[in-house]
Amino acid sequence: MRALDAIRRANLPGPPEDSVRLRVACLATVLASIAACASVGEVSRLTAGVAMVLVAAGTVFSHRTRVQPPGWAKVMVAAAAIAAFAWFFHSLTSADVITTIDAPLSLLLTSVLVVHSFHVPSRRDLLFSLAASAGLMAVAGAQAIDLRFGLYVVAWVCFGLWGLTEMWTSSSGGGRMSVAGLVCALAAMSAAAAAIFVVLPAPVVASRVSFVTQAGAGGPVGVAGALAGDSGSPAQLSRSGSPSSRIRVGGYLGFAGSLNTALRGSLATTLVMQVRAQRPSYWVGETFDTWNGQSWTEPQESSRPLRESSPFVLPVPVGAVPVGQADLQTFYVAGATADLVFHAESADELWFPTSRVFYSDDGTIVSPIGLGSGSIYTVESQVNAPTPAQLRSDANEQTLSPGTLEEYGQLPHPYPRVQALARSITAGDTTTYDKVQSLIGWIGAHTHYSLDIPPLPAGADTVDEFLFGNRVGFCEQISTSLAVMLRSLGIPAREAVGYVPGGYDPITDLWQVHADDAHAWVQVWFPGYGWQNFDPTAVVPPSNPSPGATALKDVAGALRRVPWVEVVVVLAGAGLVVLAVRRRRARPATWAARVARDTERAGRRAGRPRRPAETLVEYAASLDALAGTGSTWGRLASSVEASAYGGREPPPEAQRAMVAEARSSRVRRPAGAGVSAGG
Amino acid sequence: MSRWARPARPVAPIFVAVVIVALWWLVAHNGGSGWVQFLGDLVFGALCIGVLGPWLVVTRARLTVRGAPSDGVAGLPVDIRVDAGSRLRIRPVDPPGDEVFVGPARQKGAVDDRVTVVPVRRGVRDTVTVDIASAAPFALQWWTRRVQLPLPSTLHVSPRRGRPRPPSTSPQEDVGEVRQQPRTDMGLPRGARRYVPGDSRRIVHWRATAHAGKLMVRELEQPSAGPVTITVDLPDDPEEAERVAEGVLGTVAQLLDTGAPVLLGTLEPSGPVLAPVTDRLGAGRRLARAVARRADAAAP
Repeated sequence: MRALDAIRRANLPGPPEDSVRLRVACLATVLASIAACASVGEVSRLTAGVAMVLVAAGTVFSHRTRVQPPGWAKVMVAAAAIAAFAWFFHSLTSADVITTIDAPLSLLLTSVLVVHSFHVPSRRDLLFSLAASAGLMAVAGAQAIDLRFGLYVVAWVCFGLWGLTEMWTSSSGGGRMSVAGLVCALAAMSAAAAAIFVVLPAPVVASRVSFVTQAGAGGPVGVAGALAGDSGSPAQLSRSGSPSSRIRVGGYLGFAGSLNTALRGSLATTLVMQVRAQRPSYWVGETFDTWNGQSWTEPQESSRPLRESSPFVLPVPVGAVPVGQADLQTFYVAGATADLVFHAESADELWFPTSRVFYSDDGTIVSPIGLGSGSIYTVESQVNAPTPAQLRSDANEQTLSPGTLEEYGQLPHPYPRVQALARSITAGDTTTYDKVQSLIGWIGAHTHYSLDIPPLPAGADTVDEFLFGNRVGFCEQISTSLAVMLRSLGIPAREAVGYVPGGYDPITDLWQVHADDAHAWVQVWFPGYGWQNFDPTAVVPPSNPSPGATALKDVAGALRRVPWVEVVVVLAGAGLVVLAVRRRRARPATWAARVARDTERAGRRAGRPRRPAETLVEYAASLDALAGTGSTWGRLASSVEASAYGGREPPPEAQRAMVAEARSSRVRRPAGAGVSAGG
Repeated sequence: MSRWARPARPVAPIFVAVVIVALWWLVAHNGGSGWVQFLGDLVFGALCIGVLGPWLVVTRARLTVRGAPSDGVAGLPVDIRVDAGSRLRIRPVDPPGDEVFVGPARQKGAVDDRVTVVPVRRGVRDTVTVDIASAAPFALQWWTRRVQLPLPSTLHVSPRRGRPRPPSTSPQEDVGEVRQQPRTDMGLPRGARRYVPGDSRRIVHWRATAHAGKLMVRELEQPSAGPVTITVDLPDDPEEAERVAEGVLGTVAQLLDTGAPVLLGTLEPSGPVLAPVTDRLGAGRRLARAVARRADAAAP
């Protein structure tokens, strides 16, 4: 019975809400949430536009009928809500839940907001509108992958806070919140939100429920299954920041059938893709196993099509150990990129927007379509991350076939100097891991990193030139040298290219991968743990930097990263606020002060400023005489003095009339009168 | 009085807020969407301030009584003026009254400051007890606190004017006792004369004595009718005492209306008082201060 009573009490209609401001604030909040939903494509623009118009109409209807809402409106609202929920559950049960839960949910919430707007008589109903708009924002936020969504969040938060403060004003019988109190409340709210933002761990994809796949704007490729880079000329360098051709995406030349270490494009800084992942990783694109002294190549004959539907179950790559932690990564492609399917470590499942992909034994996955802006795919990888101690004590029996071992130990020529150097460096090491670390340490201590290296002489070997020449290079020379030294010691190694994790955006929880995050590193094979990543470039110091050039580069980079539009908007807003505050402070507090100010202003304009020892009445009399306005100024001044010194306040209407009269009156400057009239 | 604010209603809103935030966070965390978690953080911040902000407002509220009348009548409203730094909902508890809002109003410079209390019984009050409440800044949760506000001046709540009782000369009657007894120390002053034995010490004119060097007394012109002495003996039962006080006030008022001087004898917390009353206001104040005679201190 208590529960029934509670329900009955909760269903009692509240008093009608008369505040127009509160209704407008709630309407704006709801409209902002619908617009946010449309911005991420959860509802179509047409649907959003119709919903906005209906919500506005419903709000007006609710306000006009707030005192006595018509009974049919409540029945209609209830029926429409039931229909919306029925449609929602039908959509869930009749379609693939995994990929269709977001759109029906956003449509359901939009429908509820539209329907509910026609029956919002009381304050409690308006609060429900605010709560439902929060739900809609959450659904939209689940699909948002960039900071532009923040504009909608800011608008929604501003309107929502306005609505909440208006709710307090209305419920407190017309109370006014001080500016200081409002600022304190907002600061405290921000602090609480920031605290929980800092304390809570970053969100992770904990369940395989909703993996959206989307083809995007990549378009078809010339030869399905072949890397797009193959169709271009290696001598053709792409222009920086203009990846108009998918041949040399972002200026990096390595996403192709071969990696020529003698060439280097100028890397762009454009955003290539955003990655939602449970942990940062090197996003592997492809690996190379054959080295010819200048270029790495991969065997194309191993690539074969997999004809399945999502999720693709991928074979275990050669040499991989299929144990480890499952790691889900969703890639949101932001710009034209290679037709490689990037992933962390060895991929075992793939959700992709096509019915086939091309797969190589080394784990390289090639898309049959071009991957452009809007492409979305998800990969599940098995991440095997042993500790150094585990790698040192790795005593498993070898699982690679002799042919494969020979393939990953291939060298175009004996490299006697390299072998001697590698042996001398690793003379005291007994395990593979220690040898790798010793070689990396030596490279870090004896080489330098630079993107500006002299061209490789014709016929020269990249590794010999790097290790025994100027010892200056970038990731490709450095990693290739490590791979060759390892191979000269009989340790299976290969070259991997892809992207470093990129910068982490804590708001979107996405890793931002730019074109200049393209990278090359080494994968070393351990019998018990498969292929393990080693990045020798990370320990190589830059070569003799030029202070001036470095400073200019840093400044230019910093200026490029500044969000100028946002900065200008914020500065303009702050300036407007400062101007408004200063204007408000400079404004006289009382009507008498306003009239006195206007009197002095009028006199100054007429060249007759007020003298220091002159009373306002005397001054006004002289203005009347000067302008021939009768006794206008004198009358106003007398009222001001009566208020200021006699405590005789005229009625509010008279005060307003005097202020208006003082503002509209002008003193005409007679001919011959000059500034000297002021004494 | 409680120092800290407490929820005006049960903690259901707080519980609901916590559940909303927890569910939101669970969905956001497991969904892997940073924006959802960010929005959840903002909602959490708003709920935090909406739920806990009023607690801070009510706990730190500065509420003082700026003005209050010195006299009131039981059952009739008494307006008091208060100063409040922030907008507060006030419900007078003792004496009771209607719920009102005080503090800054929406119009610039406008302030609501009037609180109306309705004393139920006569008495002397130095404080009023009110429940103050606030839901600022978001009207999501009301918090309330009971506070005792000292009045700037003592409020004497006189009883209602009851039906007058007919004067009785019988000294044995308990309630509304009226005795005709001439008093030598009452009357209108006319001059000074030499002291004669038998004169009351109360009418010694000290200034004239100092001037003349002899003991002088005020010479009084006796009123046409002797003063009427009314002795009030209130019972312990508050309701009955109120009824008796109302009757006494009615009687005194009627006597004063006829021009008869009245001596009112009451028992006050400081002891028995027998003093003349000249108007209804004075009588009301005396009756407001009057207390019942305790059983263990019965009159001899």
